[in-house]
Amino acid sequence: MGVRFSVSVACTAAIMLTTACSAVTVPGSGPSGGSKVKASGPVTLAVVPKAVGFDFWDSVRKGAQCAASKTADVKLQWDGVTAETDVTGQVNLLQDFLTRQVDGLVYAATDAKVLAQVTQDALSRDVPVINIDSGTNPQPSNVPVFATDNLAAARKAADLLADALGPGEHKIAFLPFQPGTVTNDQRTKGFKEGLAKYPNLTLVAEQSSNSDPNTALSVTENILTANPDLDGIFAANEPGVIGATNALNQAGRAGKVKLIGWDASPDEIKGVASGAITALVVQNPFRMGFDSVNAMVQTVRTGRVASSEDTGVTFVTKENINDPHVQAVLQPSCAKPPA
Amino acid sequence: MGRQECSVPSPGAWRDRVRAGVSQLAAAGTVLVLFIYLSLTSDAFLTANNLINIGVQSAVVAIIAIGMTIVIVTAGIDLSVGSVAALSGVFGALLVVSYGIPVPLAIIGGTAIGAIAGMVNGLLVTQAGMAPFIATLGMLSVARGLVYIVTGSVAVSGAPPVFKVLGQGRLGALPIPVLALVLVAVLGHFILTRTRLGRYAYAIGSNVEAARLSGVPVKRYLAVVYIISGTLAGLAGMIAASRVNSGQPNFGIGLELDVIAATVIGGASLFGGEGTVIGTLLGALLIALIRNGSVLLDINTFYQQIIIGVIIWIAVFWDQYRRRRAAAR
Repeated sequence: MGVRFSVSVACTAAIMLTTACSAVTVPGSGPSGGSKVKASGPVTLAVVPKAVGFDFWDSVRKGAQCAASKTADVKLQWDGVTAETDVTGQVNLLQDFLTRQVDGLVYAATDAKVLAQVTQDALSRDVPVINIDSGTNPQPSNVPVFATDNLAAARKAADLLADALGPGEHKIAFLPFQPGTVTNDQRTKGFKEGLAKYPNLTLVAEQSSNSDPNTALSVTENILTANPDLDGIFAANEPGVIGATNALNQAGRAGKVKLIGWDASPDEIKGVASGAITALVVQNPFRMGFDSVNAMVQTVRTGRVASSEDTGVTFVTKENINDPHVQAVLQPSCAKPPA
Repeated sequence: MGRQECSVPSPGAWRDRVRAGVSQLAAAGTVLVLFIYLSLTSDAFLTANNLINIGVQSAVVAIIAIGMTIVIVTAGIDLSVGSVAALSGVFGALLVVSYGIPVPLAIIGGTAIGAIAGMVNGLLVTQAGMAPFIATLGMLSVARGLVYIVTGSVAVSGAPPVFKVLGQGRLGALPIPVLALVLVAVLGHFILTRTRLGRYAYAIGSNVEAARLSGVPVKRYLAVVYIISGTLAGLAGMIAASRVNSGQPNFGIGLELDVIAATVIGGASLFGGEGTVIGTLLGALLIALIRNGSVLLDINTFYQQIIIGVIIWIAVFWDQYRRRRAAAR
C-alpha cells in the first residue's frame, strides 16, 4: 500500500505535465483513438469498479471474468477501492494500472469530473478506455459507456406505478437515497419526468432514505402516518425498498400500497414473491462486465472503438419472476451469458 | 426528576442540580413547544399510532445515548457506537441465519459483541492511556471494517420470523423497543444517581485527579463505563436489525452524531461531570420529533439536518453561558 501510494504520487506529477500537453492534441481524435493494435499475443485488461465488495459490483466482476475466460490470451486485473466515495483512491489505483502498462482500461468513474483527467492520461498513452456504469464529464467521443440508462428506467418506474394504480386520483411518495450523487439525481429526474404524464398521481412526500434501511423504515412509517390514504411508493434503491417493505408489512398495508423498487437483493425478491413489492427495476451488472470486456478485447485486437451500450433493465413482477429471461438476469451464470 | 438528591447534598451540589435541572427544563420546553406546534400543523401527529411510532423511532438512539451519557459524564466520548451497533446487528443476524443459533441466544451474542468492543475501548483508554476520542475513533473504523468482512458488504437476510420480535413485537400495547428503552432508562438513572459507579463517574468527570487522590479506582470504573456504552450500542444494534429483519452492513453510519446530540441537548457537558438520563431521553425525543415532524410536514431532508445542528448550537451555547455565569459568581 505504502509503495503503491508513493509511486502514484510521483505519477500524478508526471501526469499533470503530460495531460496538459496531450490535451491539445488528443481530444476528439479519430475512431481509432490512437490505440496500439495488438492483433495477437497476451492482453492484460484492468477492470475497476466504483468499489469492491458490493453485490452489484460483484456481479460486474463475474460478468467481466466470464468474458475473459471465454477469450484466448486475455488476463483480467480486477481491483477497486472500498467506498464509492473514495475518489482519490480510485485515481491512484487507475494511475498505477497505467504505470503497469495494461492494454485496456475498463472502469466506473466515482466522480465524473475528476476521473476525466485519468481517461485523458490513458488515451495519451494509447491505452483505450471503456466506462461502465458511470462515465466522465467530458466524455471523450472515443470512450464508450456501457451503463444502465437510469433516466429512461426511472421514467418507466413511473409508468409501472401508474399502471399498478390504474385510473383515478392517487397519492404517491418517493424515496430517493443520496441526493447529490449522479445516479440518484438521474433516477429522481427520470421518475419526475415520467410522473408528468400522469396528472392523476400526486407526489405528497419525497424523503431520502440515506441508503439506510432503518431510516427508510422510519421515513415510510411517518409518510404513512401523514398520508393514511397513500396509494403508491417508488423507492429508488435497495435499502429504501427494504425499509419501505418492512414499514408496509408492519402497518398491514403491504400489497395495498403499491411499491415499485429498484435492484434485486434476496429480500427484495422475497418481497415480490409475497406481493409486498409490485415491481422491481433490475439492472444487468453481469452484462455490464461481460459486454464491456468483450468490447475492450475487440478494440485492443482491431483498434476499432466500440459504441456505447445501454445494458438494459428488466422489470420483475410476481407474474414474470420465474420466466427464463428474468431468471437469467437475477441469477446470471457464465454457462449462459447474456445474449 | 424531583427526587434525585443524595442523602446529604452540599450547597454546591445543590446548585449543580438546579443548573442541570434548568438545562433539562430547556430541553423539555423545546419538546413541548414542538409537540404543540406539530399537533396544530398536522392532523396525523396526535394519533396513538404516530406517538407509538415516535417512541419506537427514538428507541435506538435513546438506548445508545443513555450509555453515551454515562461516558460523557466521565468527560469521555464514545465515537464507535454506530459501527459497534452495526457489528452487533450483522453478527446477531449471522448467528441466526448461518449457524442456526436460537434467536434469544443470538440477541445475547450480538449484544455481547458490543460489550467486547466496549471493553477494548475501555482497555485502550485506561491501559494504553489513549484519549477516548482517539481510542473510539479507531474502534469506529475497526468495527465497520469487521462488519464488511463478516458480511462481504451484503445484507444478512433470511432470518426466521421470530427474529422480528425484538424490534417489531408488542407486549400488550407497548412496543418492545420502547419497553427495552424504559428498562435501560430506569437502570441508567439508577446507576447514575444511586450507585457507587454513578457517583464515581461524576467525580471522575468533574476532576479526575481529585477523584484519584480520594481513592477512586479510576481505571476500573472508566473501563466499566465503556463496556456499558458498548453493550447498549450492541443491544440497540440488535433492535435495529430486528426492525428490518436483517443485518445491514451500512446501518449506523453517522449515528454517533445523533447520539451525542441527544446527550448534549439533554444537558450533558462534554467537559464531564454533568448529564442525566432524563435529559438525554428528552434530547433523543426532540431529535425523533424533528425527524417525524419533518416527514409529516414533508420538509426537505437537508433542512432537517440544519434544524438539528442549530439546536445543538443552542444547547451548547446555553451550557457555556451557564458555566460563565457560574464562574463569575
